[in-house]
Amino acid sequence: MNARLRAAALAPAAALMIATVAVPFVVLAAYAFQTRGAYGGVMPPWTAENWLRLADPLYAGILARSFLAAAVSTAFCLLMAFPLALAISRAGRWKNLLLALVMVPFWTSLLIRTYAWMFLLRDTGLVNSLLMKAGVISEPLPLLYNWGAVVLGLVYAHLPFMVLPLYAALERQEPHLLEAAADLGARDWQAFWRVTLPLAAPGIRAGVLLVFIPCVGTYLIPDLLGGGKTILAGTLIQNQFTAARDWPFGAAVSLALMAVVLTLLWIEARRREEPLL
Amino acid sequence: MNRRTLLLFPALGGLAGCLRPGRLRLNVLHWSNYIAPETLPRFERETGVQVRLATYESNEEMLARVFSGNSGWDVVFPSNYFVGPMRELGLLARLEHGRLKRLDGLEARFTKPSWDAELEHCVPLYWGASGILANPRQGPAPQRYAELWELRFARRITMLDDPAEVYGAALKKLGLPLNAHAPAELRRAHEEARRQKPLLRAYLNAEARDLMAAGELAACQTWATTAQQAISAAPHLRFVYPEEGFALYADCGVVLRESKRKELAHLFLDYLLRADAAAEVASTTFTATAVRAARERLPADVLAMETLFPAEETMARGEWFEPLPPESQRLRDRLWTELKSS
Amino acid sequence: MTRALSVSAVLLFVFLHAPLFVLALFSFNEGRFTVWEGFSLRWYGEAWRDARLVEAAANSLWIAAAATVLATAAGTLCAYGLWKRESRLLMTALSVSLVTPEIVTGIALLALFQWLFRYAGLQLGLHTVILAHVSFCLAFVVLVVLARLRTMDATLEEAAMDLGAREWEAFFRVTLPNLAPAVLSAALLAFTISFDDYVITSLVAGVDTETLPMVLYAMARRGGSPVVNAISTVVVVLLGAGILLAEGLRKKS
Repeated sequence: MNARLRAAALAPAAALMIATVAVPFVVLAAYAFQTRGAYGGVMPPWTAENWLRLADPLYAGILARSFLAAAVSTAFCLLMAFPLALAISRAGRWKNLLLALVMVPFWTSLLIRTYAWMFLLRDTGLVNSLLMKAGVISEPLPLLYNWGAVVLGLVYAHLPFMVLPLYAALERQEPHLLEAAADLGARDWQAFWRVTLPLAAPGIRAGVLLVFIPCVGTYLIPDLLGGGKTILAGTLIQNQFTAARDWPFGAAVSLALMAVVLTLLWIEARRREEPLL
Repeated sequence: MNRRTLLLFPALGGLAGCLRPGRLRLNVLHWSNYIAPETLPRFERETGVQVRLATYESNEEMLARVFSGNSGWDVVFPSNYFVGPMRELGLLARLEHGRLKRLDGLEARFTKPSWDAELEHCVPLYWGASGILANPRQGPAPQRYAELWELRFARRITMLDDPAEVYGAALKKLGLPLNAHAPAELRRAHEEARRQKPLLRAYLNAEARDLMAAGELAACQTWATTAQQAISAAPHLRFVYPEEGFALYADCGVVLRESKRKELAHLFLDYLLRADAAAEVASTTFTATAVRAARERLPADVLAMETLFPAEETMARGEWFEPLPPESQRLRDRLWTELKSS
Repeated sequence: MTRALSVSAVLLFVFLHAPLFVLALFSFNEGRFTVWEGFSLRWYGEAWRDARLVEAAANSLWIAAAATVLATAAGTLCAYGLWKRESRLLMTALSVSLVTPEIVTGIALLALFQWLFRYAGLQLGLHTVILAHVSFCLAFVVLVVLARLRTMDATLEEAAMDLGAREWEAFFRVTLPNLAPAVLSAALLAFTISFDDYVITSLVAGVDTETLPMVLYAMARRGGSPVVNAISTVVVVLLGAGILLAEGLRKKS
């Protein structure tokens, strides 16, 4: 392809990436090394103080907790998505319809889906109302405004992201491999464990990445479902740019988060020897 | 073509809403709960100015939006303790008293307030207090902040999601001034708040109102206006001004320095100072008004609301919020982060 | 095992869709709470009469439409260019854009706009929101279109050129028609992401750019009301119908 045409094709995207990814990150990096003004804002002198603050157990703990919450949510997501993806891949001519139906919640707003859980989990919400009507409990269960609700919200929001790559990997598997395993005397569970699962590994890796990374930086779900009792990385960053008005520190936390995410991605890309895209 | 037409209609509608050539525009950023249905339409009818309104739930949210100095807003309504910091940040325009003819209609206590003695930058319009909203059907209503630390309320109370309010309540419980900011005092308040946290259902602002009305909570820390809104929906609820003392705040109209429509902004503020406009806001949104003449126009039942217009002896226990010095602010922010992560 | 698989799959399917069904169900409830008080459309009526809501919805549609068109055009061209010859730098930038948490993207863009204001007098408004939306949709478009391009036969274009077509002709007449379903999917993806975005929009919105998610969030924060249920149902039904329709069209072509 001639170079000018190619340059023309790439130009708009490249310009956008420079303007909205490269430059902002440079600006953020500049902020991260400056000091907070008396009532907010960013000012010289240049300092490494914000980065040193990250070593403070309070903030390091918040980052660590974000990774833990993301890991737990990803694990649950994987456990739930796998049977669903497997079932769809074996559904014959209903495959595409089922897949589209699984994707429909994804297409709807995260805000709406999270609000649905607020609606369900409140003390006077549907879950508690039904349980109480059925006589299972006499007092409403504290289902909302805690870690459990946050993890549930995260799993629910990201389930379609896990199902898709798993389905893609499972669908490509040849059914005759399973037949061969059966012929060799393997039972269902053994065939699953030794044939299906290893072959699905690339799908699992992709799904885990697609879920873990957004979960690490999540803001909206803990905000709505956590009741203000938890602080995760996303909330911390948002706080710095609104309530606390400490832009330099907020910038430092953002960049630290990005650094960890990019490192994880880089390790994964090296293992696969392919770029992400 | 059909799908595209469907998209075009609302798009054109939205666009038409934005560009009405020849009409003057004013951009007002306001608290979400004090706009009465008729407030803006009447202003628009009388002056021909089209008002674009957006709302916010907290001072911090408002400040984040106007902080850059290029936000496009003309009039905002900070609480009294934000006026000082906003002035320091150079965000406020000096008010031209010549354009605010009804300024002397303010109640005596607001004509020379401690946060802006000459009213150079702000116009106090609405005020209120924060205290305890209680559900007497779930036990005797707490009369003091200290009672919100009792085990009998486990999981059935919420506090406001605001460091000034939460630490303020803790400071009053300890018998300290509301605006105490020495590090030792803040840390003591922080310790109290930490001890309380396991008892809390959540830190909620306006969300708690619906929980109270639905009977899910026994008590919550909330603002008087929010409380009155809940009481109007569920009359068995009671609002209590804590005995140890409580916080007072006044929401003031200011004109942003970046505004290119300062005359219109002043016109709007003067309109809000009108007795009829102020009375309407007060009676429909259950907010105490700072305009003297408006009081006379309020229906008797609104005037009788102890929540909005407490007796003088009660008022004596209240303290106005003041802005913290920057260092104390940083300490409090950090303590708040610690509290939330614990 | 197949039994267990089917059962768990069904349960999970229900789990995935139940909350939305419940939300929709209670949008028709006469009462405010989860006690069924009779079928009613009052909340839909209230939503329709709320001028702010309608305007916010119009804003969202307008922004999403503009961002979709721009992002799809730029993204498709970009994917095409990358397909012909890779550019590690651009791919890296796009990957970074994809994996950045929304909150970080939002504040990075806000920082950019502040900086631009200081030196170029830029004000926050519709244009800043659209720019932000194009920026985060772009990588998704490239992802989808590039994935499709990689499964395509490169020799088709060469054949066309051998027959005398110029490069851009080959693109428009051979590649693009083949690519159309993927481009449509990408556009749909971009539209949905843009329409639903809350975090980034709330940070870079100006005076005249209140969007539907922003209004919904404010309502949800204030304790929620069946009006939110009503709006949510409308959005889900419309978007869902749109998706299924697009999928149906795709199958036919």
